[in-house]
Amino acid sequence: MDHGHAESPRAAQDEQELTLGEKLFLRETIKGMAIVARHFWKNLFGFRDNTTEVLDRKGTGVNLVTTINYPEEQKPYPPGYRGMHRLVPRVDGRPRCVACYMCATACPAQCIYIEAGEYDDQAIEKYPVRFEIDELRCIVCGFCVEACPKDAIRMDTGTHAPAVLSRPLAVFDKEALLGGAPVELSSDSMTYRAPLKTVAPMGSNEGGKKMGGH
Amino acid sequence: MDATLTPSSRLASSDIPTAVPVKRTVGNWFGWLIGGWAMFFAFLFGLSATMLGVVRLFAGFDEKKNSVGGTWEGVGNILILMLVFVMILATLLTMADRKWSAMMQDRVGPNRARLPGIDSPLAGLPHIIADVLKMLFKEDFISDGAARQKLLFNLGPLLAFGPAFCLFAVIPMSPEVFFFGKRISLQVLHVDWGILYVFALASIGVFGTALAGWSSDNKFALLGGLRASAQMISYEVTLGLTLVGAFIAYGSVRLDVMSELQGATEAAIRIGGSDPTLFFGWLPAWGIFMQPLAAIFFLTAAMAEIKRTPFDTPEGESEIIGYYLEYSGLKSGLFLIAEYVETVVVAGIVTAIFLGGWHLPWIEPALCSVLDGLWHGNGAALLAIFQVMGFIIKVLLVIWVMFLARWALPRFRYDQVMHLGWKMLLPASLANVIISAAAYLAGGREAMAMVGLVEIVAFVGYVAFWGKKPAADAPDAHGHAADPHAAPASH
Repeated sequence: MDHGHAESPRAAQDEQELTLGEKLFLRETIKGMAIVARHFWKNLFGFRDNTTEVLDRKGTGVNLVTTINYPEEQKPYPPGYRGMHRLVPRVDGRPRCVACYMCATACPAQCIYIEAGEYDDQAIEKYPVRFEIDELRCIVCGFCVEACPKDAIRMDTGTHAPAVLSRPLAVFDKEALLGGAPVELSSDSMTYRAPLKTVAPMGSNEGGKKMGGH
Repeated sequence: MDATLTPSSRLASSDIPTAVPVKRTVGNWFGWLIGGWAMFFAFLFGLSATMLGVVRLFAGFDEKKNSVGGTWEGVGNILILMLVFVMILATLLTMADRKWSAMMQDRVGPNRARLPGIDSPLAGLPHIIADVLKMLFKEDFISDGAARQKLLFNLGPLLAFGPAFCLFAVIPMSPEVFFFGKRISLQVLHVDWGILYVFALASIGVFGTALAGWSSDNKFALLGGLRASAQMISYEVTLGLTLVGAFIAYGSVRLDVMSELQGATEAAIRIGGSDPTLFFGWLPAWGIFMQPLAAIFFLTAAMAEIKRTPFDTPEGESEIIGYYLEYSGLKSGLFLIAEYVETVVVAGIVTAIFLGGWHLPWIEPALCSVLDGLWHGNGAALLAIFQVMGFIIKVLLVIWVMFLARWALPRFRYDQVMHLGWKMLLPASLANVIISAAAYLAGGREAMAMVGLVEIVAFVGYVAFWGKKPAADAPDAHGHAADPHAAPASH
């Protein structure tokens, strides 16, 4: 349109590439508006298919809006997602953890703190009195899960560490971490022996120390 | 540590979201579709009936029985048309703009604001209340430079909003009709100067932007104000010239006369049969069929006149911000709402001149006789409700097209705006005047419709086929000489 730029070969070339019909602009205007209108009506009449992946949302009758309204709608994390830790309970509710310190040793961020305790009368002798994970230090590498010999710590909660308003709140203790589906492995049966006290009666001490948590 | 703040209690509380898989919403989709549109049309019907009813109520205070335009009828019209219809529609448009643009761009759009007690976004409607409250309660800040011309500074938004608000007065929304014993029409001003009033007041709007730009004592605002005034003055020329063809066709500048001529009169509807005003017996006598290119030019020029995107050079956020740069609070809000009011007005003018006004195509006599059967003797009054409804739907459609253009097209550069206005639209509309006048002299309105149909065919052919060929082919060899308005634009 502007002949002032005609000296420049680049501009002259651009000028040549446009046909008169294109230079009139109307046709391109209508093409562009048609595309936008198509999106409008598709999104107006299409129902929201918010269960599929973003790239799959192109079926008939499906609108093109790919937004997930986060607090109200949440997409489940993929199956392999390393979410927040949990201490896996046994079927009786006690933690599977035997306080062997393997996870704390493996942890590159040193965010796991364990204090071991001892059952008086159980075949499983050790348990964690305190088991704390500082979720602010945690780098979510999953080494603790790999290191655990008892399958006692997992990252399968499917959620992430929640936002907190002060730093101490991000330190999760044993009560907070213990939860989820209990796990019973076939090899566990070997550890369930009759309590020792049946062999050597020790008086009235029935249940050992009171256990924390549930 | 506080008992309520232990990590375990925190974890147990609902504060931590658990991932709930979202559900497919296909189940109630169809119901919403049908129910939503039914509710929409029921609402429009109720709105039309209410508008006519209120005006009838006010007209009842008048002494005169059988002529429109009494004082009280005018008061009722001002109330119902300008204060309710235009202002409510403009307010809704602020939201529609954001929500429709979201739909055009595959987004969700605003949905965070909630009414108390209702845990639903309600399609973003509560955002209107939030926006208005924000505008009302923001600090009305006046900079030192602007404080020196405080009067002019305050006059700016008033002169931008006031004329825009008054424009709707001449736009007819319903025919003159006996509505339950009184002859009324939904039009504030029944004056002979009709559309000239629109041109006059629209040019007053230039003062608003120019004053705002100058009195803000800000270089960017001044640039915006200068651009706005230059653009508005330039496009007023085109705006007037594009309508000359329509003036020739209708022989009047009254918008109500123009609307009336685009369909059967009340008496003809009463007689029944087919609509006698149809062109060639089948085409509605709408302006867009007589002046298709003028309709496009007018819509383009009007969008430039009201500074809507893609012609929003006076308010480029990334370069000069705009003439309202120094305004805050409700004054800034006045500038923004003026734009939407002008959108409504332009849509009303386009509807009244080019889209048949209140007329429903083809079905008016049949619908009238059906309604007469339903409520004996009141067919025309009931038909008027449908006609007002048709007018509103047409207005909404034009507004939608304007918003479509806004969100589809890139912004013009300032020199391109001027180029389009002076070197393309102005000669094209002059050519349109000549051709329209020649056609009218040759064979009246039917000949204009013939030319219009040829123009439409040429335009569709141009859109569908032309411009795809490589530049080596001479474009003029494609037999599109029938499109007379292409010539001035192609140097």
